[in-house]
Amino acid sequence: MTLEAPRAAAALDAGAIEGISDRFDEPDWLRALRARWWGRAEATPPPTGQEEEWRRTSLDALPRDVELTFDAPELETHLPPGAAEAGVILTDLRTAVREHSELVARHLGLSDGPGSHAHFWALANAAWTGGAFCYVPRGVTVDGTLVVRQTLARSDVAFHPVTLVVADESSSVTMLEEIVSPDGAAGWYGGIADIQAGQAADVKYARLQQLGDEAWNIGAQRVSVGQDATVTTLDAEIGSKITKVGLEVEMSGRGGTSRLLGLLAAGDDQHIDINAHQVLAADYTTSDLLYLSALYDRARAAFYGVTLVEHGTKQTSSYQECRNLLLSPDAGAEPIPVLEIKANDILRCGHGATAGAIDPTQLFYAQTRGLDPESAERMIVRGFFEQVVAQIHDETIRARVLEALAGRIGTTEEQAA
Amino acid sequence: MALPNPALTQIPDSYKYGWNDPEQPRTTFKKGISAEVVAEISRIKGEPEWMTKLRLKAYRHFEARPMPKWGADLDGIDFQDIYYYVTGTDKAVQSWDDVPEYIRRTYDKLGIPEAEKKYLAGVGGQYDSEVVYHNIREDLEKQGVIFLGTDEALKTHPELFREHFGTVIPANDNKLAALNTAVWSGGSFIYVPKGVHVELPLQAYFRINTENMGQFERTLIIADEGSSVHYVEGCTAPTYSTASLHSAVVEIIVKKGARVRYTTIQNWSPNVYNLVTKRAVAHEDAVMEWVDGNLGSKVTMKYPSIYLVGERAHGEVLSIAFAGDGQHQDAGGKIIHAAPNTTSLITSKSISRGTGRTSYRGLVKVYPGCQKSKSTVRCDALILDEEARSDTYPYMEIDEEDVTIGHEATVSKVGSEQLFYLMSRGLTEAEASAMIVNGFIEPIVKELPMEYAVEMNRLIQLQMEGAVG
Repeated sequence: MTLEAPRAAAALDAGAIEGISDRFDEPDWLRALRARWWGRAEATPPPTGQEEEWRRTSLDALPRDVELTFDAPELETHLPPGAAEAGVILTDLRTAVREHSELVARHLGLSDGPGSHAHFWALANAAWTGGAFCYVPRGVTVDGTLVVRQTLARSDVAFHPVTLVVADESSSVTMLEEIVSPDGAAGWYGGIADIQAGQAADVKYARLQQLGDEAWNIGAQRVSVGQDATVTTLDAEIGSKITKVGLEVEMSGRGGTSRLLGLLAAGDDQHIDINAHQVLAADYTTSDLLYLSALYDRARAAFYGVTLVEHGTKQTSSYQECRNLLLSPDAGAEPIPVLEIKANDILRCGHGATAGAIDPTQLFYAQTRGLDPESAERMIVRGFFEQVVAQIHDETIRARVLEALAGRIGTTEEQAA
Repeated sequence: MALPNPALTQIPDSYKYGWNDPEQPRTTFKKGISAEVVAEISRIKGEPEWMTKLRLKAYRHFEARPMPKWGADLDGIDFQDIYYYVTGTDKAVQSWDDVPEYIRRTYDKLGIPEAEKKYLAGVGGQYDSEVVYHNIREDLEKQGVIFLGTDEALKTHPELFREHFGTVIPANDNKLAALNTAVWSGGSFIYVPKGVHVELPLQAYFRINTENMGQFERTLIIADEGSSVHYVEGCTAPTYSTASLHSAVVEIIVKKGARVRYTTIQNWSPNVYNLVTKRAVAHEDAVMEWVDGNLGSKVTMKYPSIYLVGERAHGEVLSIAFAGDGQHQDAGGKIIHAAPNTTSLITSKSISRGTGRTSYRGLVKVYPGCQKSKSTVRCDALILDEEARSDTYPYMEIDEEDVTIGHEATVSKVGSEQLFYLMSRGLTEAEASAMIVNGFIEPIVKELPMEYAVEMNRLIQLQMEGAVG
């Protein structure tokens, strides 16, 4: 076994991928899996900018020369009391491969991610050096919140972690994943999350992104929703310079429900571009999406999301909503919610998108009640976000998300003080 | 109502107010396009040099640009298998018996008069309306309104023509607009002087046997300050055409305080690719309205656009699309807010039936500095059958904070409770569905001139009974 020297992210090859397996002394199935995904990454070239989903974000300045990090960043995990005894697993992915090899092999790297992010999905599956693994056994309801926090010591690296969440039949789990990196250096964060909800499972997964101010966040998330299962995801995008996230929702089990929630607070020159692809492929499925953006300074938010109702499905229900609050003359938004409906037996189908400034009468009213303009604006933005925040029932997640947003929108407490 | 057949509309010149019998044979063009064909079209028409040069320049743009890949499937178009110029004797007008039976049946059911039927089918002319046309024309002339075939206007009003032609849709705008600029023939030219209000809608209908709805028609409307005009083209009844590609360009200039409404109803036969570029520029306090109904064709790609370039300009697009078996209606609207306090409204109603597919595709763009702009986009789609499909692609680019921009869309089927209720009142299922569909499109139909609205409702009913197509 040779330990590979650090490699620039742009200079990966099949040998370097093998080097990762060598370095971590991985089982054969994982070597083969990485090799297959590397083949896919090579066969699926990175976006050129001509693709519909990539017209609003250029990858020209993506820092491809930073080295792929082998030093997995510190991964803090918190498992509520009693969960471990019930068989719940929450650990970093490398440990999971060592300790639960068969279980991980049954779920890791089996599916495609969002089509818009096919290259990056393949790349992460081939070149991951960290990530988290969560497993909830059949019938287990976890009380409390599972927390995973990854804190990168350095920003100037490429890191493509994989988070795998598997909720077995009739289980129930709430999980918060946080990713943090320092400001000041350009890096490439390409984390992906694969969330698999078995029949009648109930999964709540929140991702709080607080990357450094020069970070490129090219992430992806795939959610598969089993029969009668319910999955709610919350995507809170706070940090990074460029965020370009792809979301895939596969509703292939009859009666499944998914809800995608997003909170975006962006300022300076931040650029956030979300692609969602919600596929309703089974009868009686429901898939809703609600993304709210508050845009300051010269920030720009793009959203291109497709709801696809497959031919032959019955009684599907879907709504896609994307709202943008423009808080500076130089902010911009491009909300594009797309419907592709190939069935006629639809229970509910629609979308809405808005962009605009704060209603001046609201500002005026708040000021007549004694608030200075800045506090009034913050209060109104908090009220705008409430549409999503009110749907976060988990105290831990709500508190962390509000804390992360406080820098932009303040808190109710400080205002009361 | 009436509408010209493309074959009829390619008569080049020598046209003077009324009916023009095709006289002696003219050059017969071969299929296909080349710089020589483009130059030859211009030569035959006896055009000034600048137009010949513009056509050739446009042809180079057409050659250089790729086919659009983002909308409907256009692979069925073979540009070398198309006649680009048809003269009087080339029209190859068929006999009534050659007109497909389903089209004749539709005319009967719509109650279209005999002469008009033949005109629509391209086998006869609407001689009867000549008198009506002359009367209207006299009124217009007194007011200083110019209403001519585009080819004729180039000859009779060269300066006005050159000043505006191609200023809204330049020769290199897109591949199909470039093609139109290279080979255009026919269309209408309208100039409404300052402060003049044209009371009656101007209809291509009255300009019988002119080149008003050809394969590559070119229409230019200039509404001078404070004037108003409503132009109507098309008809609800199927327009039979043997040509497989129709690619028109419509340019409209709405000057300060003027108002233009442009109503189109197209119902081309289902062999036609209908790829049209329509754009208006609305200046200060101007109002521009597109009312656009797409019922026929194999593939339609049409997104009437409005550039709101003056303060307080207002733009509206009302769009109805009906896609039956094998049809793809890719339609919508584009509004560009390029001045403060501009407002816009897009309303789209689409219906897909059988294996039909409707796609709403629209853009609302707000440039920086266009404060207090407001835009509302509302798209509703009905999917009538299991194999039908409906898409919504609403693009928005907002680069100004102080705006109110909203988009909403719904897709639904005909409600079973609604059907049940109507059928309990004694309607058949087809009647009930037709009534629901008519109610669905009512907000737009009520904006149509009466005779169009009546025919539209009747046509929907026929479609729902499965009696058509």
